This record gives sequence, C-alpha cells and structure tokens, in this order.
Amino acid sequence: MNQIRTIEAVPSSKGTATAARIGIGGPVGSGKTALIERLIPVLAGRGVDLAVVTNDLVTKEDAERLRRSGLIDPERVSAVEAGACPHTVIREDPTLNIAAGDVLESRFPGLELLILESGGDNLASTFSLDLVDWWMFVIDVAGGDDIPRKRGPGVLRCDLLVVNKTDLAPHVGVDLDSMLFEARSVRGDKPVLATNARSGQGVEAVVDAICRAVLFAP
Amino acid sequence: MRLIDRILGRRDDTEIAHRLHHLEHHHAVDILTIPSGDVARRRLRATTLGGEEVAVALPRDQTLFDGAVLVLDEAHALVVRVGEQHWLRLVARDKADALELGYHAGNLHWRVRFDGEALLVALDGPVDDYLVRLGALATEGRVSHSIVDPVQAH
Repeated sequence: MNQIRTIEAVPSSKGTATAARIGIGGPVGSGKTALIERLIPVLAGRGVDLAVVTNDLVTKEDAERLRRSGLIDPERVSAVEAGACPHTVIREDPTLNIAAGDVLESRFPGLELLILESGGDNLASTFSLDLVDWWMFVIDVAGGDDIPRKRGPGVLRCDLLVVNKTDLAPHVGVDLDSMLFEARSVRGDKPVLATNARSGQGVEAVVDAICRAVLFAP
Repeated sequence: MRLIDRILGRRDDTEIAHRLHHLEHHHAVDILTIPSGDVARRRLRATTLGGEEVAVALPRDQTLFDGAVLVLDEAHALVVRVGEQHWLRLVARDKADALELGYHAGNLHWRVRFDGEALLVALDGPVDDYLVRLGALATEGRVSHSIVDPVQAH
C-alpha cells in the first residue's frame, strides 16, 4: 500500500521504485555536455546517486569526454550510437536508450537519477515520455536570439528550457533580457533558466528544478 | 508529501469498486487529475483535487490510466482521472490535398487517429500552432478544420 512518507530532501527519495530518468536535448553545440559536466558535481554534492547515457551519431565522443572528465566513475557513463537522426532514438524508438538505462540501473542498484543526453539535433527534437520522466532543452545565445521566436517543438514542449552561454551575449549582438522575455512568452507558464556552463552560473537553479521535479525535493 | 510507488488496481475491479463505493459515501475518495499529455510519465509531483501534494514514482513497467487506484485504505482513497484529450479534425478537399496533409502530419510527428475521411490530430497546444504548420493547405481552405468534442472522439 502506498504510504505517506515525509520527503524532506533528495536523499530521502531512495527506496522509490526506480531511478528517475531525465532527458537533455538541444541543437548541436548548445552546451549539453558542458552543462552535464556542471550538473554532475552539484548533484553529487547533494547526495544524488547518478549515471549518464550519452547519444552520438556515429561515435561515442560525448561519453568518452565525460569518462575522461574525472567527474564521474567511467563505469557510470554509457554510450548509444544513434546511427541516424538523433531524435529517432529518443522519440520514435527509444529502445536502445531504455536498454542502456536498464543496464546501468541493474549495475548500480542505488541509482537515483539517470541523465540521458540526446545527440545534437534541431528545434523539432523532443523526448518520448516512454524514455524519460522529464526533459530539458538547451539552446544557446550564440545560436541566435530568434530561436525562441521560431517556436520549435523542443523549445515549446520541454519541461525546462535552458538558455546557455549567456556570457557570449555582448559578443554576438544579443540582448539577453529580450531573448529570455521572448522565450518565456512562447512557453506560457513553463520555466526558462539562463546558464553559463563555462562558469557554472545558473547551474544550481537547474539542479533545483531537476530535484524538485523528479526527486521530489521541497 | 505522499509517495505513490505503485498502482493498486482499477476502480472497476470488483473488490476495489465495493470499497470505493463505501468510501464515497463518506466523501473520502480524492481525485488526482492528470493531463492527457502527461499520462505516460512515471514520475511527477501533483496536487489532488482535495489539495494533497503527492509524488508519483512508478516502476517503469507501469503507467497511469484513467481509473487507476493509487491509495486505498480504511479511511481514504485516491483515484486517477485523466484529462480529456482534445482533437483537431482535419478534412482535405480532395485526394491530392489529403496526400499533402498526410505528409505534413507524418513529418511533424503528430499523434493522429483516422475517422473516415477525416484525420484527427491530438492537440497538445493551441490550434493555431497546428494550422500554421499546414501553411497553404489551411490558408487556402484546402483543408477544413474543427475541434472534436472529447466525448465524440470516443
């Protein structure tokens, strides 16, 4: 029988059915892997037991980058090669990613959070909820301040939109406040956060959002 | 916060229905409304109609459904109600336009159902967001549209 339990912080979510699975998608070069490199130590610092599945087109480049980073046990990083359009393995047929997640969960029984990084894709990329419980979409300032206005499904439907590389705004002629305003306008009441994955600015807020949404932190 | 880590059964299971009937007399059956677009989520936090905050964390081989019973004890029950799915009904003017409509629906990865000569598209956002994607098909009246009453869609 489901019982009332006091969930005060992330570690108390241990013992729930399975690890939470979150997706991180977005265009090529928007900073998905760099953001994950920032998320890992912050999540670990909050006591979250995690693992990562990366997706690349025909290589294991992102997985190798994370394994070499020293931020995470290399055994906790798994790679999926999409072999075709990256969205096919996170939406149309996510079997490979589901299987990769299942392997990591069986190998690490205390796992609380599984991060699935999509290969770089276009603005139409979305995650299947068969694969993840919650997903974020990462765009970046240098990609152009018109990206939110283009109303791509990835931008509109994700649970959290992250606008990365905020430090580059003055160098690429982008009015960051205006870009964030437009992003919030097209997303209604869904959240938007700004980050600079290079410096770590804004990363704590992203971790707060993850922990609240799927690890049930206060 | 109440943690829900499994589905106990269906509200129309004989034994469960009997117990729910008893609790309903005592106004002790709470409802968790889940938007149709979120029903596939295994993990989510939500607030019941009765105002209780719950955390749902189901095993990966379980999904919520309309009538899923999440709590059932002597004094209280919690039952899932899935929000109604609205559908956009599209009818092409002729076969050539129908072919083009089919292409767009597939290319845009819309969730669709077939209803005779009409294509039903599951609405996960404003209608205009869908029509604008059809471009000239919609603006030139080569495809007509209407919103389907959720009851009729069943």
